[in-house]
Amino acid sequence: MKPVGEHTRRSILVVSRHAHPGSSLPRSALDTALAAAAFDQPVTLLFQGEGLLQLLPAQDSRAAGVRNLRKVIDSLPLYDIETVYVDAIAAAAFGIARDSLPASARWLDTAGVRQLLASHDHVLGF
Amino acid sequence: MLLHTLSRSPAHAALRDCLAVLAPGDALLLLGDGVYAALAGSEAAALLAASGADLFVLDADAALAGVRDCLMPQATLVDDDGFVALSERYSRQLAWY
Amino acid sequence: MHLTYALLVLASPTAGHGSLTAARFARALLARGHRLQRVFFLDNGTLTGLATAVTPQDEQSPLQQWAQLAEEHQTELVLCISSALKRGLLDATEATRHERAAATVHPAFELGGLGLLVEAAQTADRLVTFG
Repeated sequence: MKPVGEHTRRSILVVSRHAHPGSSLPRSALDTALAAAAFDQPVTLLFQGEGLLQLLPAQDSRAAGVRNLRKVIDSLPLYDIETVYVDAIAAAAFGIARDSLPASARWLDTAGVRQLLASHDHVLGF
Repeated sequence: MLLHTLSRSPAHAALRDCLAVLAPGDALLLLGDGVYAALAGSEAAALLAASGADLFVLDADAALAGVRDCLMPQATLVDDDGFVALSERYSRQLAWY
Repeated sequence: MHLTYALLVLASPTAGHGSLTAARFARALLARGHRLQRVFFLDNGTLTGLATAVTPQDEQSPLQQWAQLAEEHQTELVLCISSALKRGLLDATEATRHERAAATVHPAFELGGLGLLVEAAQTADRLVTFG
């Protein structure tokens, strides 16, 4: 990969809006965010709609034989993704309580989500 | 200001999620099964009209679905060239599917 | 105003026609004088590069549309390597490494890491996703 100068750094917003047991997209969204972080590129994650269900605690994937997504999400700060953003309207719709979400989660109302969308160079919808 | 693209039918959560952030000044291009959201007189069309966003429908997909002649009046048909022109005008795109 | 584009294709080539729409979009942007830096196929989008896919004669083949584009415009078509391997898409190197009978990736495509998507996002003025 060619080195990228500071002045050309473009920020990426990854929007994850599918639930994980039935779709491979959530995993691809996380992999994309992790790849951006690994290459030291500015990246932000937003969980919207059913994507919020990826954040539910007490996920045990051993019997299903797949990767535990919440564990991957909890490990994001290790890869310098310190904050994940959560659509508060969707959280209310699914009855998800704030204290069940990872410590790195920050809640956004609709205006906050729109601001996030407008403040990144590229938006990737998963 | 965003270019939204919606390619799922109105029965899917993609429409609801898109509507939650769609605002005046944005553009929404309906393609694939998303074209059904622009059916004149439909519930989805009313919601889209109320969003205040500029509405576009991909011509080839409207023709494929057989809805070309029954689209809401606020929607404008665009071809592939028009799709690219929209992506020139709006620097960010968000795909809902 | 000529722009640099990168495309991200997540749509499966067999569920709906999102992959064909993306290929037409690629042609249309080139016709308008823009540059297409790279097309990155991820998740179910990687199935687009399956060399052994046989499309009925009365339908357009997404594989052929992309392969033609690559031939005519030297477009870089990259399949995300981890998505591809999971779906049985291997080039000669991967087929040998994983002891599989044959390579299944069409020669117009190459396997690559997500770093290539990240790099494309850094250089492209427009990143358009097809899901």
